[in-house]
Amino acid sequence: MQNAKDSFYVALRTRLATINPERTILLRGTLRPGILVEEAEAPFSQFPNDVFVLRWPGTAVDTDLASTMVAEQCEVIYQTCGTQSFGGLDRGRALSEMDEELLAMLQPFYTQKLNYTATPPAAMMTHVFWDDPIFAPVVTQRDRLSRSVMVLVYSYEEQGE
Amino acid sequence: MAASWFAAPAPVTRRVRAYFAPVNRTAEAPVLFDPSEQGGFSLDAPPAPWISLGWIQDFVRKPTSRSTPLMTGIPAAPLEQVRETLQAQVSLQFLSWTKLTMALATGSQHMNVLAPASGASPAADGAQAAPAVVPQSGSTSTAILLTSSDAAKFNAGSIIALDVDYTGQTGFVGTPVTGAYVRQTLTDVDYIRRVTFNVGLVAQVNATGLTMAEPLPGGAPAAGAKLQAVVGFVDREGGSFYQEWSALFVMQGSQGERIFFHYPRLQPMTGAEEAMTPLNAKNQNGPSRVLLKAQFLGLPVIDPLDGERVVCYRSLLPAANALV
Repeated sequence: MQNAKDSFYVALRTRLATINPERTILLRGTLRPGILVEEAEAPFSQFPNDVFVLRWPGTAVDTDLASTMVAEQCEVIYQTCGTQSFGGLDRGRALSEMDEELLAMLQPFYTQKLNYTATPPAAMMTHVFWDDPIFAPVVTQRDRLSRSVMVLVYSYEEQGE
Repeated sequence: MAASWFAAPAPVTRRVRAYFAPVNRTAEAPVLFDPSEQGGFSLDAPPAPWISLGWIQDFVRKPTSRSTPLMTGIPAAPLEQVRETLQAQVSLQFLSWTKLTMALATGSQHMNVLAPASGASPAADGAQAAPAVVPQSGSTSTAILLTSSDAAKFNAGSIIALDVDYTGQTGFVGTPVTGAYVRQTLTDVDYIRRVTFNVGLVAQVNATGLTMAEPLPGGAPAAGAKLQAVVGFVDREGGSFYQEWSALFVMQGSQGERIFFHYPRLQPMTGAEEAMTPLNAKNQNGPSRVLLKAQFLGLPVIDPLDGERVVCYRSLLPAANALV
C-alpha cells in the first residue's frame, strides 16, 4: 500500500512542478514543489498557505480478485489568504488557481507504481489509478479560504508487498 | 528476486472511446482494424481513415445471434449446435453533437442546411441555397483559395460544405463518405453538398481564400468541387437510405491493457432520438445535457482467414507483465 501512496504523491509532485513551477515550499531547508504528505512531516499546528497537503484517512481492500485491490482515500487540503500585494482581495482567485492546478495534476488518472525504498526507485509491474476528485465546499475562516478534495486511489498488491 | 509478472484482475476502465470510418458503399469495402499493427495508437490520433468521435457513454453490446440444438435419438437429446442467425446490436450515447455524431445517431441521410439564397422560399431541409463558389487551383484540405469577391462571402466561424454539383447522378453520392443513395434523378444542383460529409469550420478569411480550423475530410478539393456556406444540419425521421460505417470501440484499462470491439459494418437501426441528463442529479428540472442516442445493427463480413461470416471482432492487448 505504501508504494501506491508514494507513487501517487510523487506523480502529483512531479506534475505540479511542470504545471506551476512557482508554487514551492521551503521545508527542512529545501525548496520543493508546493505539495507534501502530512504524515511524512513533523506535525503542523496549522497547515501552510498556498500548498497542497495530502492526508490518507481511509483504506478498503478487495481480496476476491486475482490480485488484491486496495482503495486508499486521499484527502487533499489547501488554503490561501491571497497575496499581500492585493491585500488578500485575490484570495478567491488564488483558491480557484489551486483548484485548477489540482485538477491538472490528477490527469492522466494513473501513474506507474514505483518502490521508493529502492535507490533509484524501482518500477513495479502495475499502475496506480484514481477516481474523479470530489471537491468539498470552500470553508471561510476570517481572511483564509480552504478546501478539501477527496480522491480514491486504487492499486493492486504485487508479490512481495 | 523482484517479481516479473502479476495476475491481472478484470480490467478497470473509466470510459469508452468511439472511432468510425466510412464504408466504401460502391465497392462494398469496410475499413478493417488490425490490433497487431494498429493496437498501440494514440487515442487522440487514430490511424487513418478512422475518425475519433470522442468519449461515449452507455455503451451496450448485445449479441442477438441464435443457436439451435440439433436433436437426435429417443428421447431426443442435443447432438450438436448450429448457428441459426448471426446478428449483433450496439447502442451508445454520444457526448457531443457534431456532423458525424448526428449522422450516426439518425436512421437515414444526414443533411447540411445550406445558407439560403436571398428571397428563397422556405423549405424543411433548408431553402434554395446561395450559389456555390469555385475553389481556385492550388487549394488544399486546409487552405481553400478563392477570388477576393468569393472570399468576401465567408466569415471566420463559417461552416462550409465542399463537393461537386448534382448533375443527374443516381446511386451513392458524396465524397469522401457516401451521404445518400439517389434512386431517381433530382433537380437540386446543390443536393450532393447538402448530403456531403466534406464539411469544416473556417478559422480565418483573407483576400486569397479560407483557412480551415481542421483539414477537410475529403482532402484537397477535387476537380469540379464547389463550396457553400452551411448554417446547420438537419435529419429526418423516415427515408430509405441506411448509412454504413466501420466502427471501433476502445476501452483503455487501468493497467495499460486495451480492449477493442471492431465492427466492420454497422448500420443505424433506429431513428433520431435524444436522452436528457440533468447536470445536477438533485435538480431534475434544472439544466440538462442533451445526448444523442444511437443504436446500430452489425452486418457480417467474411473473414478471409477461414471464410467464416462474422459481425464483430473483440481483441485484448494485455497489460505489460500480466499473466495471460
